[in-house]
Amino acid sequence: MDQERLMEQIVQQVMQAMKSGGSAPAPAASVGGKVTAQNYPLAENLADKIKTPTGKPFTSLSYDKVISGELTADDMRISPETLEMQAQVAESVNREAFAGNLRRAAELIAVPDDRLLEIYNALRPYRSSKQDLIDIANELDQKYGAKAAATLVREAADVYEQRGRLKKF
Amino acid sequence: MKSKRFEVLANRPVNKDGYVKEWPEVGLIAMNSPFDPTPSIKIENGRVTELDGKCRADFDMLDTFIADHAIRLENAEKAMALDSLEIARKIVDINVTRQEILDITLSITPAKLTEVVGKMTIVEIMMGMTKMRARLMPANQCHVTNVKDNPVQIAADAAEAGVRGFAEMETTVGIARYAPFNAIAIMVGAQVGRPGVMTQCALEEATELLLGMRGFTTYAETISVYGTEPVFMDGDDTPYSKAFLASCYASRGLKMRFTSGTGSEVQMGYAEGKSMLYLEARCLAVTKGAGVQGTQNGSVSCVGVPAAVPGGIRAIAAENLIAMLLDLESTTSNDQTFTHSDLRRVARSVPQFFSGTDYICSGYSATPNYDNMFAGSNWDAEDYDDWNIIQRDMKIDGGLQPVREDDVLKARNKAARALQGLFRELGLPPITDAEVEAATYANGSNDMPDRNVNEDLKAIEDMMARNVTGVDFVKALDKAGFPDVAQNIYNMLRQKVAGDYLHTASIFGDNFHVLSAVNAPNDYHGPMTGYQISEERWKQISDIPNAIRPEDI
Amino acid sequence: MTFDEKTLRSVIAEVVKEMAGQAAPAAAAPAPAAQLAAGKMTLTEQGDAPKGAAPDEVVIGLAPAFGVYQKETIIHQPHDKVLREIIAGIEEEGLKWRVVRVYRTSDVCFIAHDAAEYSGSGVGIGIQSKGTTVIHQKDLPPLSNLELFSQAPLIEMDTFRQIGKNAAKYAKGEAPTPVPVRNDQMARPTYQAIAALLHIKETEHVDNDKRPQAVSVSFQ
Repeated sequence: MDQERLMEQIVQQVMQAMKSGGSAPAPAASVGGKVTAQNYPLAENLADKIKTPTGKPFTSLSYDKVISGELTADDMRISPETLEMQAQVAESVNREAFAGNLRRAAELIAVPDDRLLEIYNALRPYRSSKQDLIDIANELDQKYGAKAAATLVREAADVYEQRGRLKKF
Repeated sequence: MKSKRFEVLANRPVNKDGYVKEWPEVGLIAMNSPFDPTPSIKIENGRVTELDGKCRADFDMLDTFIADHAIRLENAEKAMALDSLEIARKIVDINVTRQEILDITLSITPAKLTEVVGKMTIVEIMMGMTKMRARLMPANQCHVTNVKDNPVQIAADAAEAGVRGFAEMETTVGIARYAPFNAIAIMVGAQVGRPGVMTQCALEEATELLLGMRGFTTYAETISVYGTEPVFMDGDDTPYSKAFLASCYASRGLKMRFTSGTGSEVQMGYAEGKSMLYLEARCLAVTKGAGVQGTQNGSVSCVGVPAAVPGGIRAIAAENLIAMLLDLESTTSNDQTFTHSDLRRVARSVPQFFSGTDYICSGYSATPNYDNMFAGSNWDAEDYDDWNIIQRDMKIDGGLQPVREDDVLKARNKAARALQGLFRELGLPPITDAEVEAATYANGSNDMPDRNVNEDLKAIEDMMARNVTGVDFVKALDKAGFPDVAQNIYNMLRQKVAGDYLHTASIFGDNFHVLSAVNAPNDYHGPMTGYQISEERWKQISDIPNAIRPEDI
Repeated sequence: MTFDEKTLRSVIAEVVKEMAGQAAPAAAAPAPAAQLAAGKMTLTEQGDAPKGAAPDEVVIGLAPAFGVYQKETIIHQPHDKVLREIIAGIEEEGLKWRVVRVYRTSDVCFIAHDAAEYSGSGVGIGIQSKGTTVIHQKDLPPLSNLELFSQAPLIEMDTFRQIGKNAAKYAKGEAPTPVPVRNDQMARPTYQAIAALLHIKETEHVDNDKRPQAVSVSFQ
């Protein structure tokens, strides 16, 4: 399956979910309504709804395919849809903050490892100018559709400026 | 004349420890400081404009983050209006449910949380832990390290620790560049000992994330947060960078928790004149606000600081309880030496050990303490039988069980051979049969031959440049003739695709079945409720090999 | 009793005295006098340190109080001897050395990383007053390291020389065998509280806005 198209689809879903204050319908991959603690663990109870970011069904993963090389490290990763389902499980047991983290994480799946590490390092104290951080927020927002992560970076830019934690030398 | 009794007392281990008198002005006070802020909150237009006596214009970075992210505002004014003593009483009242308590405690400020637990005795704090910990059954975590960073020994010690019952294992390094070998070794050893054990490698934050992304680890814990802004800066992070980092981990299907603890701010020089416990409450609020599922707290590596002042060990139990009051997975330290006295170190662990927490130790040293590279743990491999007997004496489940020497030797040997095979298949410096033999029977690194450190470090650099990942470990182990170990590592990789173990207080039971606060929540509400040790488990805990059978006499 | 109560008391007394005379910690660091004698050594500050270009140098970064406000490590090793040993280790390997004082932080990893960034070879050493020492390389994350000697009570004089030698070897592009790591689980019970006090004292001299300062060293 085309990875970019999948990404786009997910990004749209997440953005829709955010517009309506997090109460948007569950992603297509999930069961009819919301996923809840009743469906947990998803690996056992909703295995047929889980896919890898490369579009492979969770139920098709196997040890033999890893050995044969049919599955690679890129396949053994979590997808935005699965994280959204896990976020809904978290909400069903009143863990909204944790659900928020999982949704922010869902957005970051598309960001490559190296870039993700760079962005994290840029958020550490005295590393970036305010403009650097705003540029990162725009990149997250526009290139990856990572709205919640971009909001966090913008917040950080303002607070770092107020507290003198932007790049000094 | 000198008293002979005082001479004896002066030479007792307890008098080799360091103690200091309280000094509230610099924050050298465990809890209940006269300089702690008075709890308060003001909310205008859905925004916090005053927090614990400070108005928004005076907020530092932590205040801003906590005000914007950490407190449930709908119920906050009502919850803040409750008398702290009344909240404390509800916590120990079996007729008030865990959920009712959370409805209050998730809506109050750090100063209020500090005030609430400040009203409780150590026994009441323990009662609170019994009710408020997130997961139904307790579990335990260990450290697996050694002073030589010998990977063969790490694999063998991890395998033994798996047989003994640990649900999580943590390694770290003497030499930072050894990290990838240590991470591989602990993972292979753990999966030999018991399938489903989670493993981590404590490192500099970005490096730790990189190893996780590459499938060298299954979770992370040493993501430190601090209670004052300057110390946060010296920790090379901010609440915002840490919140971002938390999402980075989840985006790769990796479980993670933050770490904090009383005394770190004094230790690092900027306590801003507040009590250790109040600053820890701020750390925990930051953890909650970042959306992290849990915390490792309980002073951790700073334990010598609270332990040196009056009431410090009570404060450590109180900070664990605050974590639970914030519905966080609670991984309760008991992992660092702080005393020369055996009596004192047992007493320090009683609150968590007897009440049960999500992870009682974080961790218990699976080696003799001379090999513990977290500078020694409160419990080590030479205390295994003491821990087991205390479980048996008190009928408590501390996560471990007695073992047979045969089973342990078999596991140690297999882990060492599996790592030998994996190294061979990946073209890493060979592990000799002599090393396998030594690791099988070793107590510690004194019993191990030296490796060529430079050769190992060069091979590690090369391996990382080749972009080796967890998938390569599965293939290498399969090729090396250890398909069962390879299967277990494959299963851990597969769990990352589903993400069930990202949830609060997760562990893996048999067959990689996740148990967490979602499907195994703590429902304690008085005698004969909550976690009850099953008959089968009790047999496992109580059946020590050295007990005399009456029928044999 | 191995815990040195006398030292502790004197440290507390000094901190109390300093605290009494200060409005805010930020304003704490007074402009250091041009010359400050530390036992048998004189450290002279000479303005902002330049970034080095010489590939055959190792830069030693001193914590804000080293050799000035504090003069010995947690186990009473005099700072002049400590610095002498590190320098001797570097010189034995035929490399040059330079000393800077880092003011923006008292964290030993950052101090070492700053030293590495100012070092022409990219290798630096950071040392706190209590003796905690790090060998660093400028391309590593600040809180990582080439070698870390985290347990100050275990660092003896010969270790300091070894640290200098190994830093010089890294600077030459060699891969030295790391100085054997030492571990004593009873260091914390004995020393942690006093380490905290010494660090508080160090931290009072931090100036967040001050760049690393060049320091000339003369031993008497």
